[in-house]
Amino acid sequence: MHNSKAHIWFIAPAIILMIIILIFPLFLAGGISFTDYNLGNKTFEWVGLENYDKMFNRKTYVKMIWATATYVIVVVPISVVLGLCAAMLLNSLRFGADIYKTIFFLPVMATLLAMAIAWEFTLHPTLGIVNSFLANGCGGVREFILGFHWLPWVDSQESWYAVACANNMDFPYWLKQKNTAIWTVCFIGIWQAFGFNMVLYLAGLTSIPRELYQAAEMDGAKSTWEQFKLVTWPMLGPTTLFVVTITTIRTFQVFDTIEILTKGGPSKTTYVMMYAIFEKAIQQNLTSIGAAITVVFIGFILVLTFFQRYVIEKRVHY
Amino acid sequence: METKQYIGEGWKHAILIIGAIVVMLPFYMMVSMSLKSQQEIQSISGGLIGAQETQTFPVCVKTGYSEETCTMKPYQYNYWFAFEKAPIPRYLMNGVIVTLSIFIIQVLVALPCAYALAKLRFYGREFVFSMVLFCLLIPVHGIALPLYVMLAQAGLVDTYSALILPWTISVFGIFLMRQFFMTVPDELIDAARMDGMGEYAIVWKVMLPTAIPALLAFAIFSVVAHWNDYFWPRMVITGNRDLFTPPLGIREFRGGIDSDEFGPMMASIVTVTVPLIVAFIIAQKRFIEGITLTGMK
Repeated sequence: MHNSKAHIWFIAPAIILMIIILIFPLFLAGGISFTDYNLGNKTFEWVGLENYDKMFNRKTYVKMIWATATYVIVVVPISVVLGLCAAMLLNSLRFGADIYKTIFFLPVMATLLAMAIAWEFTLHPTLGIVNSFLANGCGGVREFILGFHWLPWVDSQESWYAVACANNMDFPYWLKQKNTAIWTVCFIGIWQAFGFNMVLYLAGLTSIPRELYQAAEMDGAKSTWEQFKLVTWPMLGPTTLFVVTITTIRTFQVFDTIEILTKGGPSKTTYVMMYAIFEKAIQQNLTSIGAAITVVFIGFILVLTFFQRYVIEKRVHY
Repeated sequence: METKQYIGEGWKHAILIIGAIVVMLPFYMMVSMSLKSQQEIQSISGGLIGAQETQTFPVCVKTGYSEETCTMKPYQYNYWFAFEKAPIPRYLMNGVIVTLSIFIIQVLVALPCAYALAKLRFYGREFVFSMVLFCLLIPVHGIALPLYVMLAQAGLVDTYSALILPWTISVFGIFLMRQFFMTVPDELIDAARMDGMGEYAIVWKVMLPTAIPALLAFAIFSVVAHWNDYFWPRMVITGNRDLFTPPLGIREFRGGIDSDEFGPMMASIVTVTVPLIVAFIIAQKRFIEGITLTGMK
């Protein structure tokens, strides 16, 4: 064995940077969250849990928790299921799978901020192609399909589509309206995330041995659905767990679309945590409350990751 | 049986094509708007590329250019005027400077550390590795605020350092490289030592070349993440246009959404977005590998 001291020089920079850039800030955020410190102040006082108390009792922050939770709870399952469906469809295609894969992966690659602006125009009430597409479809097949007139319990005079058509093309102002803004932002989130999940699922699917399907068929699982339940889904367990965790962590960090499109509004319906940290701490210089939100935020993420590690160890071994 | 399969295949394509159309919508909108004239955009006419009639653009004349200079086809005007209005090359260059510096420093820090963790035996190695594993859990965007406070105290807000410093350590890079170096046979290193190579030379002359494939994937992962990152630059760059990265530039273009012409605005956004997308389409496989790297953990 060689006995040089080279390793010290090899690991020292990494250790120093880890401590300064990753570990110390955790404590700093924790520390600031118990004070009334604002950036630029010379002194500060310890205020105990006051910042946290504000966070869980003031309306703004309650709305913040709601918006974040809604966003995560909507985006994660839908983008995971869509990713899985797309992966399975592509996997069973005879030709053309690569083209779809490229297309579905584009949103993951493209600068999200640019795409958010592109969506803003696509969904724009007067300039966007979505609303003009809807307006041109009044009384036609589009109204029938998108107005859900094919559902037996929807009255074709009362559906949202028919009402909008009747009221001089009063289609939603997707990003400006209180009741649609959060869903529109969720939609953009799903649009952006599902391609990533699809690729991970495609990798998961290729690692399932063919023989398992043959064995399942011999056991009487003939239909695609039965084979899915018996083989595909259980075999994808580890992939699913991984996909869900990583999507959740990324989804929690949503910022770009909110900052550029809604600024947390209308009336705080899209006021997610990362945007709240930015707005409070940077724009309004309320460093201590921003630090409290940071602590809660990191808490969420750490719990999630530990949960993932724990479940991976204990459960998902088939 | 045969026909039934074909029908099934047809349905799948139908569903996927609808999906693809929805996915492509904003891309279509973006490119289309960057080519059309203001009137065509506002009346939602002209399809993808518009009529492309040569015309004189009033906003351009108002800005102080001669009428002759301002007479051209809409697509020419949009792209020309975008470059006139904003220092787009500067933004792109900043993007390159920042992403490359980040990547190079990450490698300089991570590679020796990964080598030490994988191939050298020393007291405290397990501890250092568990520290790396712990740091993997920390989302850097999550600790943005304390980092910002530290940078502000150091007087570094609105500098290149602020854009680069927090990303100089990639624990993920260390972890990835370590896993990779574990698979390199010890004999290779022993042979190098016999040849009289020092540990430094081994890292850069023996280990680095073997790690090229992993490094390439990591490069794509890192560059894409930081080229597209908006949150961090938004935090630390407050007003200095000279330091704007591409996403900050995009934000600035959008600024006058109600008053401005949309054509040049979209042209600037397309210009800034296109380099990565083209790179992606050329080297798809590598990109998908690189970006889903986190899937290898």
